[in-house]
Amino acid sequence: MSTPVTGHGWHADDELLAGYTSGSLRAIEAASVEQHLVHCADCRAALRPHTDVVTLDQAWLSVRDRVERRPQPAAVRLARRLGLQEPTSVLLAATVTLRTAWLASAFIALGFAFVASRFSEGTTLWPFLLVAPLVPVLGVASAYGSSEDALDSLVATSPYGRTRLVLVRTIAVLVVALPFAALMGLSLPGPPWVAVAWLGPALMLVPILLALASFVGPAPASAVVALGWAGVVTMSVRHLTPTWPVESEVQLTMLALATLSAAVLLVRARTTRMIGGLW
Amino acid sequence: MSLVDLLGVSKSYGGTRALDDVTLTFDRGVTGLLGPNGAGKTTLLRIVATSIAADRGSTRILGHDPTASHGEVVEARRGLGYLPQELGFPHDMTVFGFVEYVAVLKEWNQAAARSREVHRVLDLVGLGDLAAKRVRKLSGGQRRRVGLAQALVGNPQVLVLDEPTTGLDPAQRATLRRTLSTIASESAVLLSTHQTEDVAALCERVVVLAEGHVRFDGSVVDLVRTAEGRVWLSDEPAETGVAAWRTGTGRHRVVGGPRPPGAESVEPSLEDAYLLMLDGRVPAPDAVT
Repeated sequence: MSTPVTGHGWHADDELLAGYTSGSLRAIEAASVEQHLVHCADCRAALRPHTDVVTLDQAWLSVRDRVERRPQPAAVRLARRLGLQEPTSVLLAATVTLRTAWLASAFIALGFAFVASRFSEGTTLWPFLLVAPLVPVLGVASAYGSSEDALDSLVATSPYGRTRLVLVRTIAVLVVALPFAALMGLSLPGPPWVAVAWLGPALMLVPILLALASFVGPAPASAVVALGWAGVVTMSVRHLTPTWPVESEVQLTMLALATLSAAVLLVRARTTRMIGGLW
Repeated sequence: MSLVDLLGVSKSYGGTRALDDVTLTFDRGVTGLLGPNGAGKTTLLRIVATSIAADRGSTRILGHDPTASHGEVVEARRGLGYLPQELGFPHDMTVFGFVEYVAVLKEWNQAAARSREVHRVLDLVGLGDLAAKRVRKLSGGQRRRVGLAQALVGNPQVLVLDEPTTGLDPAQRATLRRTLSTIASESAVLLSTHQTEDVAALCERVVVLAEGHVRFDGSVVDLVRTAEGRVWLSDEPAETGVAAWRTGTGRHRVVGGPRPPGAESVEPSLEDAYLLMLDGRVPAPDAVT
């Protein structure tokens, strides 16, 4: 089965090499050939015609893939447990700005709710009503990433597209920020319905922001929305009841504005010739 | 139909016209865009990459008009790879993580296939062993290659590379040349550069842009030919040409202008031809569009 030669004594012949690659050798023979191949360049060269390069490549890639694949980050694993698809989880977890936005939103909401409930002794609502509805809005604005977003030019020219990515990030921010702020709302002083009522402006400010952002970009749009809402709250503190910003007439006005904004978004999506959607 | 068709394309920024009535088509092979700063190279590449839309004219990428509808632009982008001139990298991403992120954006949704594709493109640019390294720890040339790797994901039919050789050393340029020549057998590769050596080494076709216009469109050999009989080697310095400099041998190379006294005519280089083309003293050859 082997060919005697000079030097190390022998080389594996074709029959042996064919048996080795097909896996038909007995274990002891296969181990012996393998041991020999490690040290013998000639036999490794002779082995080449017996191997299927494509299969070998695939096998090597698959081995390498397993060895080199790093465990998925905790954020990806968490997102997948929550039911998100794997590619979406990768996109969300990879965005540093987004993670920062989540944390910032959560801490802002917590901080102001705490201030409102702890130090007002049940008489002051405005800090919470000022900030809590803006938490999702600012979170959404930050979901755009900054204008110097390192990946923006790649996101904007990918089939996935910037519009879809912004929407995915927006939903992610809302899912994380809203329940957290809602819990804080429950610990508020004042009428119990306020704990839920602030969610109205919180949600309705988002389409207003998105519509404005399609004209002027996310940063100026979020500034306009934040100042506008601050104006509403300030007015209530000076001239009206503390709960006025979340009472039904304001809610109805905001609903009208939000509906108008959604219509503007729809029209712009159909008429604009900007590449890749609105943003 | 070509892979890329631009017909009468113009683009302005404020009052500045970056591209003016440019008509070009691109098929398989490597085309180099050569031109000074502000010539319109990056604008042209961004239009092809669907990053911006032209103000006027018609753009077709793989037969799709990217300004027509969302569906059209997505179809065009499915066949595109793009390396922007400036590509920032998120602070904490690894090489693998970065290219994988782009692969997801390019709709590689199946995790195992995506992982194999990422390894494939990293191997192509010689970064297979650095997959787990953080991008911020790489050298400038290595980062440029990471940028190139992401552009290669999915074997795009149209590959748009804005100054891909920036930061690469000679050995890395040679590797890039091999990689691009393989890809160009199936794809249209468009690259911009300031370096005439890059064009000579990498490109079959060269387009010279100046002030938003196409000055030359043809083969590298044809561009060099436009300078024949207009480059001199003189013992004395001469100020009459488009450009003149002292060479390593102590003699003076004079490009364009009348023959300096006692000077001998020499074979022009691509750089000579490019300088003359920008100066506009060479009559436009037939290949100019």
